[in-house]
Amino acid sequence: MAPRNKGTYIALATPLVVLTVLLVYPVVSVIFRGLTAGAGMTFTDTVIFNWPYLEFTIFQAILSTIMSLLVGLPGAMLLARLKFKGKNIVRALIITPFVLPPIVVVIGFLQMFGQYGVIDSFLMWALRSGSSVLNLATDIPGIILAHTFYNVPLVILLVSASMERMNPEIEEAAEILGADSLQRFQRITLPHIMPSLIAATILTFLFCFMSFPIVLAFGHGSYRTIEVQIWNAFRWADYGQASSLVLIQILFTLTLALAYSRLARSSDGARGPTSSIKTSSLSSYRPTEVIMIILYFAAMLILVVGPIASIFRAAFFDPIAQRYTLDGFRYIFSGEAGGGLRPLINSLFYSSLATLLSVGLGIPLAYAHGSKTRFLRPLSSIMVLLPLGISSITVAYGLMTAIAVPTGLNINPWPIIVLAQTVIGLPFTTRSIEISRRSIDPLLIEQADALGASRLQRLFFVELPLLAPGILVGAVFAFAMAIGEMSATLFIALPQNFTLAVAIYDNLGVRKFVEAGASALILMVACIVAFLAMEKVSEESVGGILKW
Amino acid sequence: MSVSEYPVRRNPQKLIGAVVLIVVIVVAAYGVVTFWRPRFVVYTYSSFMDWGDEGAEAVLERAFAPFEEEYGIDIDFVILSGDANFIVSKLNAEEANPIADVVIGIDNILVLQETARNVLEPYVSPNLGLINETLVDSLDPEHYLTPFDFGLVTLVYSMNKINTTTHPELANLTFADLAIHELASALVTEDPHFSSPGLSFLLSQIAIYEKILHEDWTSWWDTVEDDIDVEEGWSDAWSLWSTDPTKQFLVSYGTDPAYSANYLGTAPDTSIAPLFYENKHWAWMQIEGIGLVKNGPNPNLGKAFIDYCLNVAVQQEIALNQWMFPVRYDITLPEVYDYAIHPDEMSILNTLFNSTEIASNLQDWLQQYDAVMIPG
Repeated sequence: MAPRNKGTYIALATPLVVLTVLLVYPVVSVIFRGLTAGAGMTFTDTVIFNWPYLEFTIFQAILSTIMSLLVGLPGAMLLARLKFKGKNIVRALIITPFVLPPIVVVIGFLQMFGQYGVIDSFLMWALRSGSSVLNLATDIPGIILAHTFYNVPLVILLVSASMERMNPEIEEAAEILGADSLQRFQRITLPHIMPSLIAATILTFLFCFMSFPIVLAFGHGSYRTIEVQIWNAFRWADYGQASSLVLIQILFTLTLALAYSRLARSSDGARGPTSSIKTSSLSSYRPTEVIMIILYFAAMLILVVGPIASIFRAAFFDPIAQRYTLDGFRYIFSGEAGGGLRPLINSLFYSSLATLLSVGLGIPLAYAHGSKTRFLRPLSSIMVLLPLGISSITVAYGLMTAIAVPTGLNINPWPIIVLAQTVIGLPFTTRSIEISRRSIDPLLIEQADALGASRLQRLFFVELPLLAPGILVGAVFAFAMAIGEMSATLFIALPQNFTLAVAIYDNLGVRKFVEAGASALILMVACIVAFLAMEKVSEESVGGILKW
Repeated sequence: MSVSEYPVRRNPQKLIGAVVLIVVIVVAAYGVVTFWRPRFVVYTYSSFMDWGDEGAEAVLERAFAPFEEEYGIDIDFVILSGDANFIVSKLNAEEANPIADVVIGIDNILVLQETARNVLEPYVSPNLGLINETLVDSLDPEHYLTPFDFGLVTLVYSMNKINTTTHPELANLTFADLAIHELASALVTEDPHFSSPGLSFLLSQIAIYEKILHEDWTSWWDTVEDDIDVEEGWSDAWSLWSTDPTKQFLVSYGTDPAYSANYLGTAPDTSIAPLFYENKHWAWMQIEGIGLVKNGPNPNLGKAFIDYCLNVAVQQEIALNQWMFPVRYDITLPEVYDYAIHPDEMSILNTLFNSTEIASNLQDWLQQYDAVMIPG
């Protein structure tokens, strides 16, 4: 749809202007100021000093990506090929880890894999040991496992979707011609799923490269990524170092994001649900294969379902006193200073506002994205992708320095928190609205025009109802991202602005485990309820949102 | 098909208007409530005056109500999460448009940093005569800061887990003792980047190695790297130490036994293991100051506030709520302070350095520390 007049232009340009002011300007200005003001390290010193952290950032991201692919690929193949009851439910549920806040996942991991956690307790019982036997929720294993947990759904959904569109006749032909299953995989399946595999690889790497809460919680300040170092440099008032690191990080991520968007565009033509892969039920597999499939499901149960289920235990079980207690929930509903009620209210208030803003910006952005105007389309795609390539800490650093300080908002920076949460969730919101927008039949709009509907009437009674599922999905994503956002909020918030996500981190630091656990449970329930509601309303699987 | 099945759609302008109006009103109301702009802003750290029976709010209200009444203002204590370093960083970030008038909590190490001086305005309080002159000079002879309280940073241990009978070395502890796996793995300290006791401990260790032992200080950290537990801040470290039975040592303050005695109402279960070299016990002295924020909104009020902080009304609250020593020498300390170590019983590690030495080396030391502590 080409913009037809000034009003439309203004509507479409508004989000671009807003993002320029709230994202591009702050980030560019902190990089420029930090590098030129002369306070702190120079760029070269930063690179030399941070070399080990840069190496670790890349190392853990590569390792996490490999793990995610190794764990995700069999899952993708099973999801595509195996016929079983409740497949649609599994497909819908598989995205759950992706909407869970990282700090909540940290709690789940501590409880499942950590010291005196579910697995450790079992091993202690099995080995009759009085002390902790196995702690996987710490240091490198903790970081890698949590990143795997997060990105396996991404790999499964992207790859299985591509696999399902494989023409079964090609495979049958290969089989007749005598290719064994390994040859078929190498020659037919692999080339077919390659674009989606690369896409999943780049996205996973990107997310792990910028991951913050997980590295912060499991790295204990010893294992640090660039993202953690930006936060540290800022806290040590070393703006030269902070800004240099921001620049390095952005160069990395934008290169990856560009590679990704190019890849997505080039493979766009080959897409389309024209054919669907041959599926078969479990009984048609050989016994060894069946055993492996069952083992895989068991492993997934431990890795993915385990941490989620463990959050319930974390909310009630006090590992220090070794007893079950309701103190966590007493904390949540305590309105006193240091109680959880204030963070809970803050969380709900900020994330609701961020959701409204995201939808308000996401709708015109989605339209601008589909516009045929020369500048609007590429500009809006860049703007939508930007928050994916700019880390949360950078967004927060930019907003604080370039927006909050000049306006005096830093005395009570809640609006800045809302803005940061909006910007960070915006790519997901826009994406889901855009998916909906693409499927609108243009004829309907023309008919509305022909019947004499005003522009607002057309928008409200024709387009928005058609967009509704997309908007709803986008809103839920915005809400889940905002309420679970910890990095930017931690950076910006004064104690009076703490959200539940930040309070969890804070409580974890001082070993108030049940308080953290109960807060995590509340956040998880909020995210899952919103998510289930969305699944119910939206007809399509929500997985599409992950395909950029 | 009857006409009524096609309801006439009203133009939605009114609806949009109403929704926008409601959102604006809600947001504005929240804004007005929370943005009710205070007239006088004090930046401080999260545990300031918060370690007594009553909690910070009640103590600050009692101590500062006369000041608020006299000047007809409300003091807004803005509690910044984290330690004083973060306050300095925040002040730097806000340099162009400061909102704070006064900052409490920058100490004698941090004030040596250019970043700290950059955001402070020197001020000589007429009340300086009420406090020990050496404190003024040890904190900052240039008066960027006025002393507020002070304490000794040392090693404490829990007597329930370890004592001088089982470990006689506790009475005369050295870093060599602490490097042994058994003790090193029981030690909890704080990150010197983000915690002032953590930084004090690092400087204590550097002072002893460089000035007394004449050895490379990084070797000790190299030895203990895999054993000791470095938590981000003091609160985190204290929580770990007090809940984990395997952690017996904590880098903390010499008043901890007094706190313990006050809390238990009996003899304390916490004791001090001061470092012992050259037949003397050593400790690091931390002096916390109040500073006037450069270009702050209310400079005169800020100066009056600093003067007021040296009044008895404020200083008498320090011992039992902050667990530090008040800088006024005419304040009678509570009885439990008999369990604390006092500055005159200790040799002060700070004196091994001159102030320019710390200022010019601090960044390098921290970077060397980072390089040693990188895992692997």
